[in-house]
Amino acid sequence: MSTAEERAAPGSNEIALDGVAVELDGRRILEDVTVRLAQHRIAVIGANGSGKSTFARVLDGLVRPTRGTVRVHGLDVARELSRVRAEVGFVFTNPDAQILMPTVAEDVRLSLRGSGLARAEVDARVDAVLRQHGLGDHADAPAYSLSGGQKQLLALASVLVREPRLVIADEPTTLLDLGNARRIGRMLIDDLDAQLVLLTHDLELAERCDVALRFHEGRLVEVGQPADVVRAYRREYA
Amino acid sequence: MTDAPRRFDTRDIARIAVFAAIIAALGLIGPIPVGPVPITAQTLGVILAGMVLGAWRGAAAVAVFLALVAVGLPLLSGGHGGAGVFVGVTAGYLFGWIPGAFVTGLIAHSGRGRLSWWRVALGGVVGGILVVYALGIPVASLVAKLPLDAVMIGNLAFIPGDLAKIAIATALTMTLWKAYPPVFGARRERALAARTAPAAADATDASAR
Amino acid sequence: MIALYLPGRSILHRAPAGVKLLALLALALLISLWPHTGVTIALAGLVVVALYAFALLPPVVLLRQLWLAKWIVVLMVVTQLVFLTPWDALVNTVRVVSIVLLAALLTLTTRSEELLAALETGMRPLARLGADPRRIGLTLSLAISMLPVVAGIAERVRDAQRARGVRLGFRIVVPVLVLALRHADDVADALSARGAD
Repeated sequence: MSTAEERAAPGSNEIALDGVAVELDGRRILEDVTVRLAQHRIAVIGANGSGKSTFARVLDGLVRPTRGTVRVHGLDVARELSRVRAEVGFVFTNPDAQILMPTVAEDVRLSLRGSGLARAEVDARVDAVLRQHGLGDHADAPAYSLSGGQKQLLALASVLVREPRLVIADEPTTLLDLGNARRIGRMLIDDLDAQLVLLTHDLELAERCDVALRFHEGRLVEVGQPADVVRAYRREYA
Repeated sequence: MTDAPRRFDTRDIARIAVFAAIIAALGLIGPIPVGPVPITAQTLGVILAGMVLGAWRGAAAVAVFLALVAVGLPLLSGGHGGAGVFVGVTAGYLFGWIPGAFVTGLIAHSGRGRLSWWRVALGGVVGGILVVYALGIPVASLVAKLPLDAVMIGNLAFIPGDLAKIAIATALTMTLWKAYPPVFGARRERALAARTAPAAADATDASAR
Repeated sequence: MIALYLPGRSILHRAPAGVKLLALLALALLISLWPHTGVTIALAGLVVVALYAFALLPPVVLLRQLWLAKWIVVLMVVTQLVFLTPWDALVNTVRVVSIVLLAALLTLTTRSEELLAALETGMRPLARLGADPRRIGLTLSLAISMLPVVAGIAERVRDAQRARGVRLGFRIVVPVLVLALRHADDVADALSARGAD
């Protein structure tokens, strides 16, 4: 149990993991991660299967740790899941799997279900966020008719309309072409007001963050200046 | 298997929705007209829903599919749909798909531990034929004002096709059991070490339920 | 979304979906339970034709719906002639077909989204039995968006098998199921992350 002094106050920007481990059928996917992060843009790098995806899912309660505690902005993820989910937005790799409603506007509106906002306010927010993401003309279009890049923009819009204070993005640019990857990368790194945890194989993107974490075979092996962490990662494969 | 849910979670909802879409996709194959009632791969999807998802989720997937048909999507084999199909002679068979998938799932998943092919096949016969016919035949007889035994005899023509579909569905289910076990529920997920990361995330989630 | 709906501006098109649904139920019950004579069955047929005209749908639409009901007609006429008199066969066939045509009219004049919303409203009383109409509505909309996704998966699998020159027959369903259900698990994560729990 952490004491009251150690605990970050609600409203803080701290992500705190204490001895977090994830095991599955005796196999360790994540081992003893203890880390405190309060930087604005946090890059997470590592090979496929290194545990970075599990790390990201632990922050949002999508994966529950076998041991240890996770606190996000002062909230205990295990105990206050719905408040965490309201605070945290998650952008996934595959745009197809994140589009949940038949039309573009309906998909964004889904994010505001149960938000208690008045209908007019919901419409205004949906309209605004679609225009910000260049989808203003597609509001009533079937979501599946969008291009891959547009789908990822829609996914981002559906996450940001909830005004999350933390955005976790799991390789959001991996499946996109160069132009769309750059655009999404820029929106996350430069334009986002919320705190960002960015999992990426794009090392240039990682270098532009404020801190970088490197995972290797289920362990958090390095936390530091992005330039240093990226250099160490590159050396490993030199 | 006690999969009677107090409340479906997001994983259940996603699987129910996707399976409803799978039943729709199977409607694109065929139909092969045999007499007045066409034989379709769609009922294969209904039986599969019970065999794979189990009683509650399987029946829910079928109900969702039928609701989409009812609101006017042409998803029934041959591009049919709309409220009309639920008041015609074959309406009872359509409604019968819901308890049909339920009973199929109940029997198919009744064993402890492993899925056995004979339970799956038995579920298909009881749920996919007996239950569906138990609703379809009386309704057809009622709607058409025909004697019950006459409709029953007419139904015999479809038994061979139905049995073939159950054989196919059983084979597909047993293959799926090996190819993608997580879908069969938490028990199976824990029994086997997951091979891939998404499947791993899957199992942690399910066992934490 | 490809639906059976035909756009129009008639009063029937503009009437609320829930009202139309209830009217259809009432008419269908009336027509099926009424002990029919030649006069009443002719009346039922006339009501159907009049309603199609009232919806300002061209006659060809009614004919197309009749054509879609051809199997019902064949089945009814043939089987009824075996057991009943030709007159009874005619009366029963007109009775069933007119109800089917009425139901089709609801579909032709009402958008799927409106019917979905009416369904959600109609299910509200179920909340007392422990069902959650909003979650049911969510599942229905989710299923609609999964239709093109699963169709796309099926197409990709078929192309892949053609490219490798193998014919799997019904076994093609297995890779489609695996990919679609894997997709469902990703969708579940996205649902959770967006607070749909």
